[in-house]
Amino acid sequence: MSVAHGEQVRVLEEEHGQVGERSLNWWGMVFFIASEALIFANLIAAYLYLEIRNNNDIWQLPHSNLFLPLLNTAILLGSSVSVHFAGTGIRKGNVRQLIIGLSVTIFLGACFLVGLAYEWTSLIADEHFSISSSIFGSAFFTLTGFHGLHVTIGAIFLAVCLVRATKGHFSKQQHFAVQAAEMYWHFVDVVWLFVVTLVYFVPLFR
Amino acid sequence: MATSTIGERATTIDVRRKRFSETYIGEWITTTDHKQLGLMYLITGFFFFVVGGMEALLIRTQLALPNGKVLDPDTYNQIFTMHGTTMIFLFVIPVLSGFGNYIVPLMIGARDMAYPRMNAFGFWLLLFGGIFMQSSFLFGQAPNGGWFMYAPLSELAAGHAFQATPHMNADFWLLGTTLLGISSITGSLNFVVTVFKLRAPGMSINRMPLFTWMILVMSFLLLFALPSLTVASVLLLLDRHMGAHFYQYGSGGDPLLWQHLFWSFGHPEVYILILPAFGIVSEILPVFSRKPIFGYTFIAWSGVAIGFLSFTVWAHHMFAVGLPSIAQAFFATSTTLIAIPTAVKIFNWLATIWGGKIRFNAPMLFALGFIAMFLIGGLNGAALAVVPFDYQITDSYFVVAHIHYVLFGGTALAVFAGIYYWFPKFTGKLMDDRLAKWHFWVTFIGLNLTFFPMHLMGILGMPRRVYTYPANLGWNDLNAMASVGAFIIGVGVILFMINIIKSLKAGQAAGDDPWDAYTLEWDTTSPPKKYNFLEIPVVRSRRPFYDKKYPDIADWKNVIKH
Ligand code: HEM
Ligand SMILES: [Cu+2]
Repeated sequence: MSVAHGEQVRVLEEEHGQVGERSLNWWGMVFFIASEALIFANLIAAYLYLEIRNNNDIWQLPHSNLFLPLLNTAILLGSSVSVHFAGTGIRKGNVRQLIIGLSVTIFLGACFLVGLAYEWTSLIADEHFSISSSIFGSAFFTLTGFHGLHVTIGAIFLAVCLVRATKGHFSKQQHFAVQAAEMYWHFVDVVWLFVVTLVYFVPLFR
Repeated sequence: MATSTIGERATTIDVRRKRFSETYIGEWITTTDHKQLGLMYLITGFFFFVVGGMEALLIRTQLALPNGKVLDPDTYNQIFTMHGTTMIFLFVIPVLSGFGNYIVPLMIGARDMAYPRMNAFGFWLLLFGGIFMQSSFLFGQAPNGGWFMYAPLSELAAGHAFQATPHMNADFWLLGTTLLGISSITGSLNFVVTVFKLRAPGMSINRMPLFTWMILVMSFLLLFALPSLTVASVLLLLDRHMGAHFYQYGSGGDPLLWQHLFWSFGHPEVYILILPAFGIVSEILPVFSRKPIFGYTFIAWSGVAIGFLSFTVWAHHMFAVGLPSIAQAFFATSTTLIAIPTAVKIFNWLATIWGGKIRFNAPMLFALGFIAMFLIGGLNGAALAVVPFDYQITDSYFVVAHIHYVLFGGTALAVFAGIYYWFPKFTGKLMDDRLAKWHFWVTFIGLNLTFFPMHLMGILGMPRRVYTYPANLGWNDLNAMASVGAFIIGVGVILFMINIIKSLKAGQAAGDDPWDAYTLEWDTTSPPKKYNFLEIPVVRSRRPFYDKKYPDIADWKNVIKH
């Protein structure tokens, strides 16, 4: 019976010329990402609200070493390129390019997470700056943590795609999972630009 | 193998053991059919309605007389919190999504929702999320901070001396609502894409049935409002368990942040709870008045307007917390504005009935009751939007009266109307109309007896969420009335259950179209087959099934009208 449903979906999509890029699943992913984006919008709003309500506290990291966040930004931006490379690969039907692109992206994502973990541990161990040391601590670790969690989810998503790619699940016509993972990864990258600006760069201008 | 024939294969299939998904129970558990899932949503929602109702009866028993001793203070807190939480998250939302799941694909001429498997996922998440929350009673640690779980009360400890919520009570609520939130997100994604992408040929957006419209707006509200609740809950969990300070004033945080985040979810939420009810009523009134709906465009777009506006009014729940007066003025204005599209709908409904050949069957009776009760709820809402009045009356029983006129008099009556209307479609059987009328009048009297006195209690100063009150404050008679009323509502619910059981067992055959209705869900068998329609219908007006039945006077021939 689900065949009947699938059949209708197919007919409607073909009639409206929506095979491929803007499939039913594509729309679902768009609305899902919109809802996720609002999670970050709310977090950022909360951050700004707390900062306005309580600007006696120090809204700044104990050190002003920007090397790591800049490196991490470069890594994530690079990974956006590599995931795009993977996506163009499969859109041309090139599974090898897909596999290379996905592997590079997952590697870069892992590097980003290692960088984040390194920064966290050095803050906690060396600077004694933690989630409970101040309201900025709470906000900093929550915002970067939430983003790190999303990078992790995105990397798992990509890894599943990688395994499926090696098993030959994807073709020029059928690769929605890759497309979705790519969209999600770009989204996570864009969010990082907001996060990094807010917690690392804005404080420099105060 | 080379010699095997088709006949032989058929025998092998007959002999093999049934798969789990082919047994009766297995079919329900593994189903991805929108109609089965819709019914499961409805049944689950109704089950939790009974749970929440019993909690309400406990509350009213405790408050029936002054100095009540039925519940101790802590248990009382748990009961009233779980009453609100259950009714909102586990009754209204599931039941409305149940109607949406069952009816929307049929109404728009689709074979299923866009993502049938995600649909099943959402249902099971809801069920387990609900069980998870209620299981807190087994630990004696049910949530006890109100359905809004205000910080810093819901913190582990507020300050050094004061233990706020040291046990798991708040955690059950925070994790539970997060699970239910994920379930609702999957459900609303599904509705949005289904409505946008799977409409039958010819059903343009402005020919969509109004119930579908309202489900669409509700889904957008859920998608964009739930993230606020999720963030609020996660921050509180971090406060409670990881040592963060988001809502702790002494450490640089701010308890008002909770209220802002919660209500920027909470106010859209109350419209999430009422918009599909508007939709149900907008389907029933025209059918039982034998007229097309009056002002279709206005009803549809005022729903959209309500959706937008509902994101701009949240701080009317916070007039008493000391916001700057400019902010209070803003929120008072936006709140009053939202009454305009709401009133537009009421006038449209009245104009729909006006001059119609009205049939007073149970669905119509409940729909009319809805209009009257919702009107009262809307009017006293508008009163609450007046800031100086709200200062006096906030956190009193007046607010409880408002909530219940809109949610019980409004949504719950519309839900009953919807059940009486669509039950023949769900089962192929008619419900007992006489018993249904009894149900209506008992409920109608019970609800007014319960909730009208609450206006007066509020004006006389009785605060909400108190577990008891002394005898000399002049609240005794009103409370006694309210408690009697609550049990009368309970009798109404029993009548409803009897009617359901009776009709399932021995209801008259309904046929496919017992109400001579207008929309596509009636243009198929009752109950519909798995694939819904033998042939996907083609739509030429807002009342496609009416066109089909009355080709000579079909709507699409009358171009001027639309
Ligand atoms: C006509 C439009 C409405 C207006 C102007 C309005 C206004 C208000 C105001 C000002 C409050 C805050 C009262 C206080 O706490 O001091 C309130 C509370 C509330 N309203 Fe409405 N309302 C309207 C419609 C609705 C609808 C349609 C629903 C739900 C179906 C609803 C559900 C609630 C609930 C649940 C609360 C109480 C929240 C709590 O627990 O504190 N309202 N309303
Ligand atoms: Cu509100």
